[in-house]
Amino acid sequence: MLHSKTFVKKTRGGKVNKQVREHYLRDDIYCGAPICKLCDSSAARLSPSASTILLLDTNVVLNQIDLLENPAIDDVVMLSVVLDEVKNKNMGVYNRVRALCSNSLRRFFVFANEHHKDTFVKEMAKESKNDRNDRAIRVAAQWYQSHLGGAARILLITNDKENKRKAIAEGISAETIESYVKSLDRPDLLDLVVQPSSEDVEMEEVEDLRPSKRKVIYTEHKPMSEITSGLHRGIYHQGKLRVNRYNPFEAYVGSESIGDEIIIYGRTNMNRAFDGDIVAVELLPQDQWHEEKSLSIADEEDEEEDVHLVPSSADDAPRTTNLVQGCSGDTNAVSSRPSGCVVGIIKRNWHSYCGSLEPMPLPAGSGGTAHALFVSKDRRIPKIRIHTRQLENLLDKRIIVAVDSWDRLSRYPSGHYVRTIGEIGDRDTESEVVLIENDINSRPFSSQVLACLPPLPWSVSSEDLANPVRQDLRDLRVFSVDPPGCKDIDDALHCTALPSGNFEVGVHIADVTNFVHPGSPLDDEASQRGTSVYLVERRIDMLPKPLTEDICSLRSDVERLAFSVIWEMTPEADIISTRYTKSVIKSCAALSYIEAQARMDDSRLMDPLTTDLRNMNVLAKKMRSRRIERGALTLASAEVKFQIDTETHDPLDIGMYQIREANQMVEEFMLAANVSVADKILKHFSLCSLLRRHPSPTREMLEPLLRTAAAVGLNLDVSSSKALAESLDRAVGDDPYFNKLIRILATRCMTQAVYFCSGDLSPPEYHHYGLAAPLYTHFTSPIRRYADVIVHRLLSASLGIYKLPSIFQDRSQLTSIADNLNYRHRNAQMASRASVELHTLIYFRKRPTDTEARVVKIRSNGFIVFVPKYVF
Amino acid sequence: MEFVSPEGLRLDGRRPMEMRQIRAEIGAVAKADGSAVFEMGNTKVIAAVYGPREVQNRTQQINDQALVRCEYSMANFSTGDRMRKPKGDRRSTEISLVIRQTMEACILTHLMPRSQIDIFVQVLQADGGTRSACINAATLALADAGIPMRDLVTSCSSGYLNSTPLLDLNYVEDSAGGPDVTVGFLPKVDKVTLLQMDSKLPIDIFENVMQLAIEGCKAIANYIREIMLENTKQLEYRRGI
Amino acid sequence: MVGLSLGEKHFIQGGIAQDIRSDGRKRLTYRPINVETGVIPQANGSARIRMGATDVISTVKAELGKPISLQPDKGKVSIYVDCSPTAAPMFEGRGGEELSTELSVALQRSLLGGKSGAGAGIDLSSLVVVEGKICWDLYIDCLVVCSDGNLLDALGAAIKAALSNTGIPRVQVAAGASGDEQPEVDISDEEFLQFDTSDIPVIVTLTKVGRHYIVDATTEEESQMSSAISISVNRKGHICGLTKRGGAGLDPSIVLDMISVAKHVSEQLINKLDSEIAAAEAGDDES
Repeated sequence: MLHSKTFVKKTRGGKVNKQVREHYLRDDIYCGAPICKLCDSSAARLSPSASTILLLDTNVVLNQIDLLENPAIDDVVMLSVVLDEVKNKNMGVYNRVRALCSNSLRRFFVFANEHHKDTFVKEMAKESKNDRNDRAIRVAAQWYQSHLGGAARILLITNDKENKRKAIAEGISAETIESYVKSLDRPDLLDLVVQPSSEDVEMEEVEDLRPSKRKVIYTEHKPMSEITSGLHRGIYHQGKLRVNRYNPFEAYVGSESIGDEIIIYGRTNMNRAFDGDIVAVELLPQDQWHEEKSLSIADEEDEEEDVHLVPSSADDAPRTTNLVQGCSGDTNAVSSRPSGCVVGIIKRNWHSYCGSLEPMPLPAGSGGTAHALFVSKDRRIPKIRIHTRQLENLLDKRIIVAVDSWDRLSRYPSGHYVRTIGEIGDRDTESEVVLIENDINSRPFSSQVLACLPPLPWSVSSEDLANPVRQDLRDLRVFSVDPPGCKDIDDALHCTALPSGNFEVGVHIADVTNFVHPGSPLDDEASQRGTSVYLVERRIDMLPKPLTEDICSLRSDVERLAFSVIWEMTPEADIISTRYTKSVIKSCAALSYIEAQARMDDSRLMDPLTTDLRNMNVLAKKMRSRRIERGALTLASAEVKFQIDTETHDPLDIGMYQIREANQMVEEFMLAANVSVADKILKHFSLCSLLRRHPSPTREMLEPLLRTAAAVGLNLDVSSSKALAESLDRAVGDDPYFNKLIRILATRCMTQAVYFCSGDLSPPEYHHYGLAAPLYTHFTSPIRRYADVIVHRLLSASLGIYKLPSIFQDRSQLTSIADNLNYRHRNAQMASRASVELHTLIYFRKRPTDTEARVVKIRSNGFIVFVPKYVF
Repeated sequence: MEFVSPEGLRLDGRRPMEMRQIRAEIGAVAKADGSAVFEMGNTKVIAAVYGPREVQNRTQQINDQALVRCEYSMANFSTGDRMRKPKGDRRSTEISLVIRQTMEACILTHLMPRSQIDIFVQVLQADGGTRSACINAATLALADAGIPMRDLVTSCSSGYLNSTPLLDLNYVEDSAGGPDVTVGFLPKVDKVTLLQMDSKLPIDIFENVMQLAIEGCKAIANYIREIMLENTKQLEYRRGI
Repeated sequence: MVGLSLGEKHFIQGGIAQDIRSDGRKRLTYRPINVETGVIPQANGSARIRMGATDVISTVKAELGKPISLQPDKGKVSIYVDCSPTAAPMFEGRGGEELSTELSVALQRSLLGGKSGAGAGIDLSSLVVVEGKICWDLYIDCLVVCSDGNLLDALGAAIKAALSNTGIPRVQVAAGASGDEQPEVDISDEEFLQFDTSDIPVIVTLTKVGRHYIVDATTEEESQMSSAISISVNRKGHICGLTKRGGAGLDPSIVLDMISVAKHVSEQLINKLDSEIAAAEAGDDES
């Protein structure tokens, strides 16, 4: 069974290190074909009726992954030598291949040929590694042929001429991927086939269609060894390339060695680098450095861009995006910023992009391959050249294209078409584009996930009631206040007047962790999604609907399981004691904000529910004023509400979201609950709690706000959040919208609040600037945020009623979970805003309107306005 | 980093429950009273036993028992990077102590009072599992020297990576940072005499991992018995029986 | 180690006088030499020599380093001997250090020549990669596993065998390096340079017991010696190094006589060793 073969490898590292590894050869590795009579076919993956079994070459796997994911390609044997090479070259493709192999619907089988005693190939003298791997593939193909007899035809797919020639010489049938796809007689598949690069096949003329621009040549990228030595010597600088959203010919590379950002200006200097690539930059001589004022449209002001990164955050993009420039009459227009050019790309950040084709005349005679230019929705990506046979089909569609290569001689990168989303301008298509761009998974939940749900109809069982851990609070007058039409109610409140004059106030949150168990497919899926995404016309749930709208939702008049935070507080809203418990509640009313407000306002109503509401309101006001005293900020974020036509789902009207007292009351108690829970879990788990912080904005970030304020003669004190809040309160002008505008500008300067693991930072850094709280976390919305699920688990563990899963002991995993949550949260926000923008555009598409506006920012070639009525 | 591939193979092609290839040889050092070479995969260890003999240091002499001393040293070239100080560093001292305690527990020391038994273990190649290989080699050497023992002591290590218990970790798997459980076992009386672990492991998984190591020890014990039987046959043959 | 009785001592001395030693050998006969190469795959080169009961392992490891400023065109070699306690209980802890140092120094003197690097048995200029900046450092480590006399000879033979087994990877210097910076080197995985070991000397130790000299003394015989001379001789018959041990004085003519005897013996030894090493390498290649 076991056979040892010592294998010698050499590694580098400054010194030479000889390493010896064992390599066992086995004879119990099965071939995976159910028709095989010799092997144990219990692990067989290939179909019993396969006529042709494919073996793929590494380059084919790397380049044609999109084609492989298409179900037409099946019955494939993946050799472990091919998988290892793919893993070393491209981790993304490797993960996709692995997903294909483990997908039970696809018939991909992994054959460990390196460990099989008949197919192991020893390196011969003077043979390069690639040759040896190719030889291993051929030997494996031959073995399969002899092993399966004539039962199935073995086909080796390779685009390498040498390999193909040798394979045919050895008696193995071999074909290139194009000829195989042609033989399948599926013309739509041919589009997915990536055009081979020039080494494999004679290159066709792939030059630009415009002869005048034929010879735009980029300088060659320097080889890796030169780049490393250059980095050591300090002549090259490494950093991530960020392309200006408004001017794709301008980019910045944040470099720590310089301490400033290097500007890359011009297509030639960008030298085929994409946004997000890690590049090596060489500084240009100082006289070629660009001056500030030439960077006119270079302002990086964008709503989405208040993703200012915190100085010590885990993100690796460089620091400030705020470039102090733009306004004429500014100080030193001559101080130049270091400029450079890209000499090499260290790590590519290519993926698939959404967009559409540039309109062009159809070539004479359809059916032939046409070259088209793909324009991505993201303006930072250059145009991509693709080949397609279905030009007339695709011209008016939104499509997804993946990038393959960018040759020196070609003006644009080359890519291939992946799939169509839908028609341009169609609301659903554009919504889907928004989702894809923000990496939001909107696929329906898999059957494995749905299998984790308890069967419907569900109700609180007697075991739940008998559970000593759970307190029976069904007799309390619990109610919930939510937006109208809300079905996923995750929080409910109660307020009881105690005989002592104090109040017992409780916040009850849906007990989601009772149903979502760690490690289950449901939990993994929720962890991946991170948060529910709220688009204008729909909501992409983090958990399946039965949970969110029924089983966990604290609807009225039904018994539900909850996790409660109960305070005893004085009439002055001072907290005397806090206790946490799992509970069973029965909500007596699910009010909307308008209803709650109406009840409180109507002085004729004196029923117990309304009294409770009023008491809560009073307490909430006191708590709020105390918070403001401490320095909490109330910034106006432009929240837009759409009225959607129920049939066409088109927007009927746009309006601002009204904030009423009732909203603020609920918000206040939720904040208090979050703060109390944060305190409790940190006490018990000082190293592995999931908290939320809001770093204070730096002076540089507040610059634009200060400048704009100064332009109207307003002096804002930004020394602390309290000072800022007070300054903002005082900032009133003749224009009724002035204060709101200033607040909106202030919001844009803020840093983003982020989740983090408490063990990664020190206590002073836990501070939440916006709420002026030393500690904060998210606890109150586990139905739509995964962070809250984690905090629920931590709280249960701190109460001793739950065993913390082992993932909490691994700090690095917790940090990566926090990073994922931050990423998903940001994306969800961007998607919401994009959806709002989309619907606004659709709304105005049919209704050109004239209305009043305020100028907010002036640039050298345009100005930005704020439209108060429609709030954008 | 993937230590167990989805097909169930480890980096070197073994399955999770499989040990590396073992090889043992008795009588490598002619001058010693008893000696053995033990190889587990690429880990190669020589053990030599001198004794029972007169105690060198009178102050250490025990009147009713034999004194067992042990020294563990690694050759300069045994690891990938050349080691500068082969003896006297803390790890060597600790392992010497561990081996000494393990062997002392199973040698019938009361049969040889006022004498000294020296066990010297030299690592020629280290590729993970050196502790276990040393103990196994020492057992064989003691048997070769004819020193009376309660039972053979065998040792094996196991770990837990990629949510799978793995038997007999090699250097790459060991340095992955996962838990590493070393077990010393007396097969006939079925008792654990040495148990060491690095890193963290939840208790329910720990039981599985330890059980796996014990199975490994039993397999090694069988192999050792075979080797000794073979050796005895050779001796008989040379004597002309 | 138990001491020898008077009777045993007489036996040994008498036997040597009559040209019949305790194990039946003549005075100038070596014990059967057994050579194995490639025993430690992790090292660049290795060998194991057994002369009777004496068992030594020698390994060669090559690392990239900077040459000495005084000799920018030569590589560096350092030899280190370690006596394992398995060889003798007295080598435990620091006990073997004295012997180890003595052996290391003797070996260095014999094989490496003087401080200036002149006259070294190993050609150091073949170890240089980029003059003045990068060279190979060879670390020769020897381990005495079992000691039964004549350690120096065995070690010398082992080093010779290990060096012939050594493969140094081929190095390509990256172009474009200038000035004082460290150039980048690209180390090839496949190709190796074999060492040329034909010029490496062997060491012959002559032990004087009574009025006669013997080669390849066992421990008992060594305990009877009055003095011993270790001479390293290479293939051409040139003497590369000389060490005298032992307290008794030697008449200069006797010394010269011993040297000529050593030269004579060394020819046979070199031939024997070379054939053994070649056989071992061939056997190694096949497996």
